[in-house]
Amino acid sequence: MEYFIQLVIEGLATGSIYGALALAIVLVNRATGLINFAQGGMAVVSTFVAYALFNAGAPLALAILGAIVFAFVLGAFLERVIVRPFERGDPDTAVVVTIGMFVLLGGIAAFFFGYEPRQFPSFFGLETLNLGGVFVSLRSLGTIVVLAVVVVLLQLLFRGTKLGLAMRAVADNPESAALSGLPVSRLLMIGWGLASVLGVIAGVLVAPQLFVSPGMLDFVLVYALAAAILGGLDSPLGAVVAAWFIGVIENLAGAYIDVIGNDLKIAVPFIVMIVILIVRPQGLFGRKVVVRV
Amino acid sequence: MNNTLAKLAANTWVRIGFAVVVAVVLVVLPLVSSKYVNYQLSLIAVFGVAILGLNIVMGYAGQVSLGQSAFLGLGAYIAAYGVVEGWPIPLIFVLCAVVPAIVGLLVALAAARLRGLALAMVTIALPIIGIPLAKRLREFTGGSQGTTVSWLRAPEWSGLDHDQWRYYVVVAIAVLMFLLARNIVTGRIGRAFRVVKENESVAIAMGVSPYKYKVLAFTIASLFGGVAGFLYLGIVQYTSPETLSFHTSINMVAAMVIGGSASILGTIIGAIYFVFVPNLANQVNPQLTALVSGAVLLAVLFLVPGGIVSLPRRITQAIRAVRRRAGGSPPETPQSPSDRVPAPATTRPKSTEKKNEGKRQGQ
Repeated sequence: MEYFIQLVIEGLATGSIYGALALAIVLVNRATGLINFAQGGMAVVSTFVAYALFNAGAPLALAILGAIVFAFVLGAFLERVIVRPFERGDPDTAVVVTIGMFVLLGGIAAFFFGYEPRQFPSFFGLETLNLGGVFVSLRSLGTIVVLAVVVVLLQLLFRGTKLGLAMRAVADNPESAALSGLPVSRLLMIGWGLASVLGVIAGVLVAPQLFVSPGMLDFVLVYALAAAILGGLDSPLGAVVAAWFIGVIENLAGAYIDVIGNDLKIAVPFIVMIVILIVRPQGLFGRKVVVRV
Repeated sequence: MNNTLAKLAANTWVRIGFAVVVAVVLVVLPLVSSKYVNYQLSLIAVFGVAILGLNIVMGYAGQVSLGQSAFLGLGAYIAAYGVVEGWPIPLIFVLCAVVPAIVGLLVALAAARLRGLALAMVTIALPIIGIPLAKRLREFTGGSQGTTVSWLRAPEWSGLDHDQWRYYVVVAIAVLMFLLARNIVTGRIGRAFRVVKENESVAIAMGVSPYKYKVLAFTIASLFGGVAGFLYLGIVQYTSPETLSFHTSINMVAAMVIGGSASILGTIIGAIYFVFVPNLANQVNPQLTALVSGAVLLAVLFLVPGGIVSLPRRITQAIRAVRRRAGGSPPETPQSPSDRVPAPATTRPKSTEKKNEGKRQGQ
């Protein structure tokens, strides 16, 4: 039983990392209606900034803060300069644009830092707590708490502030929002900036475990995309719940079903995703989109 | 000037002559090139077939697929297993085409219910599940080490080197696959693909089932991917889980867009890009490869959204625009339809499409 709880908590922790990136994907999708395959690449480049700052002698907290600021600027910049011309056009082209950014950002990281994985310190230290027989690493607990805080902050931002209201208005109907005098362009940039910040949070959380390298988030991104789609692309809560679900189910299946084992556990969330999508193409929490001819 | 070029391209005899020249070049090239060059040229043919499949499902039918490398890998593994077991080569070839097509069909039966990005996710899952699966099924795949084979050797009577023989086999099959693809996309199926891509509701209204044609497009793409896997093993003589890597899929998507989506000629350009550019960048600086690929892809999307294949058209348009702005002599017949025709591959579908739409309505 202790082992089971341990697995669930570890699953929730990895799920929280997927969740942070999934939230970023949902945020971008709500704001600009496209799926950003470069979300991972943006996070990697920003995580490298944290790494570089830390190695330059900055305290970890300051390095992470610097990376967060950088991520925000990067996200806003990419939206304005690269993505903007493709936003209301053909969605397939937009997907390819983000794939191009994904390759480009990975390339930038590789150009400056090479492909060798680099160590990154954990913000939460390496201790393990013993809670009545259940061994839980502080890092796992910290990761879960960070995601929970992020979700609450996002809810506060979107429900409780003028900025959040404006961003929701733009996501809902950019034309009407523009007509009511909202600075749509700037709000879209802020949306992408925020998403990029979520990405770097995921990057910094996972870096001590996966090490920092240009491809470090490739798989996390795929899981995050799966979570975002599973949760319904327009539902932040759905994305987080789906990410936790994926993290836990993957961990449990890997541990308890012998045929699956540690190597094939990656298949589990995808098979679940495919099955759910076939039954509910709009995802678990998504709204069904009715297309007008 | 360009006008006369277009007229020339439309002339049947000129086209036959052009085809003969291309054929002669393809035949003579390996005889005068080094082993390394032959290897590279053969790889272009291999990935040309894989990207062609991708172009059918993505460029023509408009369904994002990030799983093409899975079918490439599947084909390569089937070929490797067949070679190790000593099966006859024609049988191996047929299996390499049919088994991936069946797998693609089964995946598509489920996945084609989805649209756009959900579809992209399901397809990206294929290589991601495929890699650990390939490592696991050690008896068939050789696990992480992969399988090395030695086959498709030049027979004595031919007097060719192995690399030349393999080149001929691979290029011959690739040419056949390209002709097949050309017939598919210019025929009834190709027109249906275009309608599905353009607007699914319109497709339904015209009596074209989007679901059926999406499944068909996926199946064809998987078949091409499997054949490319067969060719891949013929040239590389080795396959490992790395063959399936989703980076290969992503690079193929990039190459397809760079060459020209929904264009046969663009596919060839894309394949050349896929093989040569990373190679060149690698020789300059291995850390530069990804940077160059990403930058080229974005540059193409910004400057020539139709891919490199549409470059001549873009240039003539630009020249004309400059001339017009300069207030110089107006260009001769600016709106003449033949002006918009850069290559024979794209002339056909446009004209037949219109004809057939009329027919369809009359039915």
